[in-house]
Amino acid sequence: MAGKVLTITSGKGGVGKSTTSANLALGLALSGKKVVAIDLDIGLRNLDMILGLENRIVYDVVNIVEKTCKLNQALIKDKRTENLFLIAAAQTRDKSAVTSEQIKELAEELKKDYDYIILDSPAGIEGGFKNAMEPADEVIIVTTPEISAVRDADRVIGILEANSKTETNLIINRIDPTLVKRGDMMSKDDVLQVLSIPLIGIIPEDKNIVSYTNIGEPSILHKDSKSGMAYKNIIQRLLGKNVEFMEITEDKKGFFQNLVSLFKE
Amino acid sequence: MHMMENVTIKGKNFLGFEIEINADDLEEIKKGLDIVIASSVHLIKNSIVTLRFTEDNKQFANDILNYLKGKNIDINAVVVDDKNNLQSSVPVIELKNIHLLSDSHKQQPATYKGNLRNGQEIRVNGDLIIAGNVNPNSYVYATGNIFVLGKLYGIPHAGYGGNNDSMIFAFDLNPPQIRIGNLITRSPEEGVSVKQNNNMVFEVAYAENNSIVISSYDEWLKLKN
Ligand SMILES: Nc1ncnc2c1ncn2[C@@H]1O[C@H](COP(=O)(O)OP(=O)(O)OP(=O)(O)O)[C@@H](O)[C@H]1O
Ligand SMILES: [Mg+2]
Repeated sequence: MAGKVLTITSGKGGVGKSTTSANLALGLALSGKKVVAIDLDIGLRNLDMILGLENRIVYDVVNIVEKTCKLNQALIKDKRTENLFLIAAAQTRDKSAVTSEQIKELAEELKKDYDYIILDSPAGIEGGFKNAMEPADEVIIVTTPEISAVRDADRVIGILEANSKTETNLIINRIDPTLVKRGDMMSKDDVLQVLSIPLIGIIPEDKNIVSYTNIGEPSILHKDSKSGMAYKNIIQRLLGKNVEFMEITEDKKGFFQNLVSLFKE
Repeated sequence: MHMMENVTIKGKNFLGFEIEINADDLEEIKKGLDIVIASSVHLIKNSIVTLRFTEDNKQFANDILNYLKGKNIDINAVVVDDKNNLQSSVPVIELKNIHLLSDSHKQQPATYKGNLRNGQEIRVNGDLIIAGNVNPNSYVYATGNIFVLGKLYGIPHAGYGGNNDSMIFAFDLNPPQIRIGNLITRSPEEGVSVKQNNNMVFEVAYAENNSIVISSYDEWLKLKN
């Protein structure tokens, strides 16, 4: 097998990297791919929680690189599928506990047995980000439609380009059609104008995500979830299928779905 | 028998590299382009390329852009004398005097293809052409003129080192500051707008009586003549 390292990064914090990592990792696994997700936000781990696996952590990524455990011992198997494993971040250490060479080496090792190695990057452009960037074969940039997040994404794309990482795709997260319509939120096109990299998906604002995280079940497990649907489409696109961008429409309480479509997902 | 070539590489204009199209028949033009591409594909793919049409063949502009696109060749702009009746999917530069600028600068301009992104900066001696966007929080310094074939939202400094005669050109000129020679101007502080305007008017910034003036490219050309 010749797996692929897919890094999820953003620049700005809190825009949905870990939520995206969890959904894509689980979704790809449920589509039959063998997947390992690695939480590289060392010191601030939460991918384990979003995936509902926090009780199973015994060893973590720092244990692997410091060789205090075997690789197999630190691979946490998912509850729902045989195809997904998590390597958790260490919580009592910081970003300097691993180097990008060590992560690269680990990723190379995992590529032999897995189709996708998903690296959940920490925010920022410092060492932790470099650990996630340098092993990447492909990168997904997550941004929200806010000027500050888009500026930070632009900075990150510049750094990626300077490091010859040109396989990049964009996810715009938390778009709210009502706000876009009022002119209070950047539209998809406004964001693309600045970033000019290919768009692989748009995730609507979804207030249920908080509770999905609390119970450790990413959106894609919830049939009626709009964000789940958007993530499923991204997974199909990652698998090379040509999926139409779905309409993101306003919800009107008590009415059937508003017919005004403002933009396509 | 020696005829004028249908399609020729004319060489440098102020934007970069120009293909001149003389034939008036679409099939003839395509044949001519095929020959030019075969002999110079490397040159064409690695520089800023404009197509120069005459009044008699500019009606084919879109057909030809599509034809080249099918061959994976992207044209950065179309150059004509008069843009009336012209259909084009890329920016049109209406230039009666396209060589006006480069005549005074013997040095070849430096070119940068791609977007200049937040946190990046570029510095060159002489003129600089950027085929791409200059994004917010990026910086461009040239001792000569700066031409941006895209949006200019970062900070340009033309005539860096003190040449107030330098100018800045952009398809969409909207920087928070403009610096020319030892002059500096700030854009009026409106709230940050997320709306974009799509009526692109090429603009030029230059210095006059020790202050920086912005005018449309068309106006500026008239002044120069
Ligand atoms: N589409 C969405 N709709 C509503 N809330 C969302 C959405 N996506 C993410 N969130 C919420 O935003 C917060 C941040 O998400 P997440 O932890 O995935 O971001 P992150 O980029 O990984 O953050 P960090 O930079 O801290 O690692 C969480 O509370 C999450 O539930
Ligand atoms: Mg995170």
